[in-house]
Amino acid sequence: MSERPHHSNLASDNHQINPSEPLLRVEQLSVRFAGVRALSEVSFVVWPGELFAVIGPNGAGKTSLFNVLSRVYQPEAGQVIFAGQDLLRLKPHQVARAGIARTFQNMGQFPTMTVLEYLLLGRHTRMHSGILRAGLFIGPTRREEWENRAYCLHILDLLNLKEVRDRPLGSLPYGLQKRADLARALAMEPRLLLLDEPVAGMSLEETEEIAAIILEIKEQLGITQILVEHDMALVMGLADRVLVLDFGRVIAEGRPAEVQANPAVIKAYLGEESEQLPAPADDLPAVSEN
Amino acid sequence: MIATREPGRSRLRQELPREAEPPRLLGSLARWLWLGVGVLALLLFFSLASDDWFTIVNYCLIAAIATLALNLLSGYTGQISLGLAFFMGLGGYTAALLGGNPPAGPLDPWGLGLPVFIWLPAAGLVAALVGALIGPSALRLRGFYLGIVTLALVFIGNYLFRNLSFITGGPQGRNFPVPAFGGFSLDQQNSILGVALTSGQQYFLLILVVLLLSALFVYNLSRSRVGRAMRAVRDHEVGAAIMGVNLFEVKMGAFVLSSFLAGVAGALYVSYARYVIPDYWSLSLSIQFVAAIIIGGIADVWGSILGAAFVFALPQVIDYFSLLPPSTGGGGLSSGDLNALLYGLLIIVFLLFEPGGVIGLVRRLRPAGPRPQTLGTSAGAGAGAGAGAETAKEGGESIEVVDLQQHVPGPGEERGSGGTGAS
Repeated sequence: MSERPHHSNLASDNHQINPSEPLLRVEQLSVRFAGVRALSEVSFVVWPGELFAVIGPNGAGKTSLFNVLSRVYQPEAGQVIFAGQDLLRLKPHQVARAGIARTFQNMGQFPTMTVLEYLLLGRHTRMHSGILRAGLFIGPTRREEWENRAYCLHILDLLNLKEVRDRPLGSLPYGLQKRADLARALAMEPRLLLLDEPVAGMSLEETEEIAAIILEIKEQLGITQILVEHDMALVMGLADRVLVLDFGRVIAEGRPAEVQANPAVIKAYLGEESEQLPAPADDLPAVSEN
Repeated sequence: MIATREPGRSRLRQELPREAEPPRLLGSLARWLWLGVGVLALLLFFSLASDDWFTIVNYCLIAAIATLALNLLSGYTGQISLGLAFFMGLGGYTAALLGGNPPAGPLDPWGLGLPVFIWLPAAGLVAALVGALIGPSALRLRGFYLGIVTLALVFIGNYLFRNLSFITGGPQGRNFPVPAFGGFSLDQQNSILGVALTSGQQYFLLILVVLLLSALFVYNLSRSRVGRAMRAVRDHEVGAAIMGVNLFEVKMGAFVLSSFLAGVAGALYVSYARYVIPDYWSLSLSIQFVAAIIIGGIADVWGSILGAAFVFALPQVIDYFSLLPPSTGGGGLSSGDLNALLYGLLIIVFLLFEPGGVIGLVRRLRPAGPRPQTLGTSAGAGAGAGAGAETAKEGGESIEVVDLQQHVPGPGEERGSGGTGAS
């Protein structure tokens, strides 16, 4: 989408990004729940336009990381700088306005909303009508609604969802629900898109489709993405760089090929002794490549 | 990926695509027909109904405004409230204070004698203001806890209303102002444009206008940015926040607007009843409105109106035709008992079998078929899918777009493709 549709006034903030500065800088991030360390001193940067993947075995802290980035979890220590601003000072609803959109790992939050309504909900921060103007639904409000519906239809078109635009989310098959969720996140016009296991539970065919969409988002829209995923083939095929977490620690970071060859990663995934002896997080050697 | 804009066309106002147009209120023939039927029914009722019927219907329409208020807060936004009676009472006494007759004796409650176009909006505004003051602390709570706090409001209100006798008349109650427009006072027979109208007919017109404006406002809200945010807050608070919805702002908006409508409904009620005691604004009144939104339909404007009819008009209708004595001191089944029984039963039945309420039942029984606006879209969607496939080819080698139809079975899809084929 070299050209954004119709919306000079809705133009994205992408222009403000300085390509020599990282879009996201996470420093020494630690999250702890009742004594359990979900994340320990995790640091990494994500560059503008990059497709950055976070992988790791179950319970490695991937989703905790996303929950920090969307301000659902309060970290114990560390810093998160997004596009030059301190993310940890924002309230959850301000994160979206700052330009971070997130997809859900599981759908089912909004079963009665139609697909189009869901995308329009995603454009909440891009629209402005308050209660009084919305209640009267005249002039500017109607026009705003029309413009944003047009924008959402365009996104639905891109993701081949137009035919189901008036179907309630709850009535759609799982794969389409997840695709609608991705469409909603795109409708938010984010600078940074957090994809939380976008192909979990999908068929091979659906997985390929989503992979294609993720590539298009990167190449055509230039949106920076962080991908959390179990599907190793997908991650290795798509990502520019990969961060590997295990027991909340960074055990490797680098290009997919490098990471795949890293002994610590192989150990974390294949298990070796850790299969028989589930060691507590603190006993694990912190092997880091950075 | 796809440039929907044809080259050479300028960005004119008309350029927004038709298919993206928000549905118009009267955007289809069916809706015009329904409007016609509605107007005809109202005209028939207006010219033929007896005074008794006007009394029943007028109370029901006032209740519908209050039901809308509760549905906005609980149905659309998911915030449980038992405090509706309190806000109605606030509206009622604001109307009394501003519009009531100046006191004749030292013991009479106060009244400033202001005209209706001041006291009616003021009743809503005062209730909304109190809502805005209470909201920030009450709305920190969720679910049952919010229910309990709003329940406390009813009891606090009851205490205040009983004791502020210079406004409320104390436990014995007080008289309330009659809406008057210039020389026309609504409690007398007046002739408008040569047509003689009874008091009931004039109230009917006033209440109907207020109800229609309220219903239109709530409907518009529900299909806009704010309404979507409200439903998102109801369904999943964390999810809503992740989309950038300010939870507090949305809940406050719903609470304040709901209080406003409740206040207006309260003012209309007292001005129609003419005499109300403080005990009227009770928990059981609040609960009747909860019953109304459950029976009528959650998060639905028509559901609110139907629910009000079921809860507030049906008992009177049953009384009207009933052979049972209206109230009995002795044994036997009075019509009041019958009503109470009926509601208990209805609430249970609807909660168990039709959570969508009466309106959900109606909408489900409506003959299946594509709505007018979807017909137009499905043709467009076909073209869209084609364009999507094209993009995929441009996008890169690994891209394969799977035909959507494979993934979307079901009757809706069948109809959609049928429409495409026909066009």
